[in-house]
Amino acid sequence: MRKKRDEIGDGAEGLGPELGRLWASAPVPKAPSWFAVRTMARLRQEEDSKKSWFGMPRWVLIGTGLALLAVGWFRWESQPTIRDAEVFAALNAFVEEDRESRWWAGL
Amino acid sequence: MAEDRESKIDDALVRRMAEGDEEALRELIVRHEDRVYGTVARMIGGAGPDAEDLAQQIFLRIWKAAPKYRAEAKFTTWLMTVTRNLVFTFCEARARRMEVSEEIVDEETEETIQRKESVAGRTPREDLSGKELIEAVERACAQLPMKQRLVVHLREHEDMDFSEIGEILGISELGAKSLMFRARENLKIKLSAFLTEPS
Repeated sequence: MRKKRDEIGDGAEGLGPELGRLWASAPVPKAPSWFAVRTMARLRQEEDSKKSWFGMPRWVLIGTGLALLAVGWFRWESQPTIRDAEVFAALNAFVEEDRESRWWAGL
Repeated sequence: MAEDRESKIDDALVRRMAEGDEEALRELIVRHEDRVYGTVARMIGGAGPDAEDLAQQIFLRIWKAAPKYRAEAKFTTWLMTVTRNLVFTFCEARARRMEVSEEIVDEETEETIQRKESVAGRTPREDLSGKELIEAVERACAQLPMKQRLVVHLREHEDMDFSEIGEILGISELGAKSLMFRARENLKIKLSAFLTEPS
């Protein structure tokens, strides 16, 4: 049962009898047939689109991928840098070692 | 009493939806599809794919928001509030999208004047064909500001009281009544050719 509109001031608070009749002459469209079925199908489609590989939500996979990339990038940035002078010093050390070895060997 | 029972059924369905019961959503859609679709169609200016898409979005939003639903107000008030939000957003976006050229506006104005002139010479409603009257009412409805249109629809078609309408629009009961008053005055002017009573 539909609710009855306020009796007092009906004309003042609604469209009034004549305008109300005019307004009612334009019918309000009804939902098309199969509306419920189509809406349910859309719901399932949207729910499926949220799922991804291994039944995990797509945002979890994307988030994990981004986190791994971020960790990799920070580690790359924080690795020690080697100057040219340090490389040459290391090579010289090898040469020195070679000379000493030869001297000990009596060569 | 019957209304309370209906409201309790809706609340129970929303609780089931909150637990992920899709059948509850289907039942809820069947119960309210005409109400939602009709309101959307009335607000956006006619039935069609846009109205169906919007009405579907409304039910999907209800589905997503079901776990957060608290039965503080009637379910239909919540449903209509969601409807209002989506419809207003749609209408605003459409208004921004559509760049109505001056010519089109002029054409419409001219058409309206011609229409008024064509009916002015006749005696009111009795002479007019049903189709002409329906077109005039739909045109007048489309020309109302969004809030006024919604108030008139909720009041005249959904038989809602002003406190409920105010809640849906986020305004006071008095504000809703004021919108109704302005809508009535606008409609009287726009439909003056069809009225027998002096406006």
